[in-house]
Amino acid sequence: MDFDLGEEAAALRARLRTLIEAEIPGDFLGAFTDDPADLETTQRFCALLAREGLLTVAWPAEYGGAGGSVWDQTVVREEMWAHHEPRGPQYMGLNWVGPAIMAFGTDEQKRRHLPPIAEGSVIWCQGFSEPDAGSDLAALATRATPDGDGWRIRGQKIWTSYAGMARWCVLAGRVGPGERHEGITMFLVPMDAPGITVVPIDSMLGPHHLNEVFLDDVPVGPDAVLGEVGGGWAVIRRALAHERVGIARYARCERLLSLLADELRDAGTQLPEHLGVQWARALTQVRVARLLAYRAVLAQEAGGPPDAAASAARIAVTRCDQLVAELLFQVLGDRSLEAGPGAALAGAIEDHWRYAQAATVASGTLEVQQMIVAKDLLGRPG
Amino acid sequence: MNPVLPRDAVEFGETARMAFESVGGIQAARRAEADPTSRAEVSGLLTSLGIDDLDPRAEADTAAAAAVLCEEAGRVALSYPVAGAVLRTGGLPTALVPPHHLRVDHGDLFEAWHVCRPDGRASTARATGPALGTRLGPFVCDLDADDDLRPVDHADPADAELRNWWLTLSGWTILGALDRAVELATAHTRDRVQFGKPLTEFQTVRFQLADAAIAVAGLRELALFALWRLDVAPDRARPDVLALRSHALDVARFVLRATQQLHGASGLCDEVDISILVRHLQPALRLPAGAEDTAIELVAAIAADGFDGLFPHGRVA
Repeated sequence: MDFDLGEEAAALRARLRTLIEAEIPGDFLGAFTDDPADLETTQRFCALLAREGLLTVAWPAEYGGAGGSVWDQTVVREEMWAHHEPRGPQYMGLNWVGPAIMAFGTDEQKRRHLPPIAEGSVIWCQGFSEPDAGSDLAALATRATPDGDGWRIRGQKIWTSYAGMARWCVLAGRVGPGERHEGITMFLVPMDAPGITVVPIDSMLGPHHLNEVFLDDVPVGPDAVLGEVGGGWAVIRRALAHERVGIARYARCERLLSLLADELRDAGTQLPEHLGVQWARALTQVRVARLLAYRAVLAQEAGGPPDAAASAARIAVTRCDQLVAELLFQVLGDRSLEAGPGAALAGAIEDHWRYAQAATVASGTLEVQQMIVAKDLLGRPG
Repeated sequence: MNPVLPRDAVEFGETARMAFESVGGIQAARRAEADPTSRAEVSGLLTSLGIDDLDPRAEADTAAAAAVLCEEAGRVALSYPVAGAVLRTGGLPTALVPPHHLRVDHGDLFEAWHVCRPDGRASTARATGPALGTRLGPFVCDLDADDDLRPVDHADPADAELRNWWLTLSGWTILGALDRAVELATAHTRDRVQFGKPLTEFQTVRFQLADAAIAVAGLRELALFALWRLDVAPDRARPDVLALRSHALDVARFVLRATQQLHGASGLCDEVDISILVRHLQPALRLPAGAEDTAIELVAAIAADGFDGLFPHGRVA
């Protein structure tokens, strides 16, 4: 039995931390701020990671990757999220859009899309949710109608992260008379296609994050279909399983707990016993979340169905995110309401709390994950 | 990275499970409560399974076997102190006892014990009388020390190692019991029809089952992790061991309550297994310390030794 990720992973972690320390400002809180310089920081950093061969660590060499292990990929995810995702909106392209194109794409799609993703020079968004198809994604109503040898897409997407920044969208639409999972088809759609309108949604997550995307008879060619026509559900399942494992929220929790511990120690502040106890329990919960995430990675690596393990990990990780966010606010007291560079940890705790509220909704709600876990439990012989 | 038990340990666990089921599983715990002398049968069974050769301090494979034996014991509320029995000092079984009371589950099963208190003081002790015989502590006995407890400043480092192993193995026992509790609740809610359909057709029931199963899955990861840490970094594993113990107690509180609740009124009846499991697990959850005192102990351990484990970010304020 061995929990050690290995020397290569440890070296990779150290290398990433060195790069982040050198290149990312101490008060960086991600790309979704009012300061355009933050988006530029992510673009610069992605180009650097690409040059260093670190952007596509786990991609196969034939697609420009380093052929690293799933644990190398895990280390990258952890370090990036711990430091407020300095790849900005790139992580989605790297974590699942690229791998989905490798798995389901044509040779031409691979030639066209994989190099820019590997270089960190293109932003993708994900057009899944709709006003009437949130948790019940199979109820999506955006329709693709044959038009010549291509398609015209009509409908509306919502909660689309990065839509205002993205150059491409992986979009789920419905083809033909099928209902529910039948007929769902994935399209690779350029965001500058005629008929696309992006409307930002004000939210507690900060500017530009959530958007509505209106699709008014958007024309796309036959080469836009990813996988089989009508075979989109398989792509979605693969994508969501990747995304559920994909965000290493526990790593940011650990880092913030550690940074605040340092700050309190430097200030000579001793926590009251009840908060110290909560802190120790939070560290334990974070470890549990991390280990469950590793179990989901192992399940995927073994090639088994990842659904239940990924959902269990996601539930543990997102709940831990909120637990730590609340604990950090309890420690800060009235200072928790401050934001920006003058706030505790340059606003990182306030930012974390706001994002943590979304953790149990994004990429499939907590309740959907619970249903997946329960289904697996009840499916076992009793 | 290969966080799985050795195959031999897994197979040993399957053998132990069959052996425990062969004497009735949880039914044997009912028998023991009615007639405590029937625990001799369990003792013989454990001897045939090789319990005398399962000292976890010997090597990693033995530790894994001891852990799965404790887990299987937990699954059937085995009326025997398996964790203490595999940890021998001078031939005596080990028990961790509360700070002010030499109180041990199944304390009457052995003529004498090596008892350790949380502060490191230790001694040989013997049962002073019959077990409490209460519903929540049917086999709990009070002990008297042969001598004054060894003072803290003369604490034997070997006792620190014993305490870590005892806490870890008792964590595995709790894990087994909670895993079984989820199985029992799943089976009951699948079979029980109310309002014209099985209880598992209700979303709220599914949510509770899912949350209980995830809690147990997380505890299993922590139990494996503690076992591994005791192998690779025994001198720095105290926070990892206490984290397992603390988390096991927290998870037990939630999982036992949820799974018994899902049984409805039947879950309170001793003819239903969950009731026996919940009652007989109580000593393991209260001795040597309950959830809150254990969490306070964890804070101190983290302050002394950190909580990095593998991961270089864990600190406590």
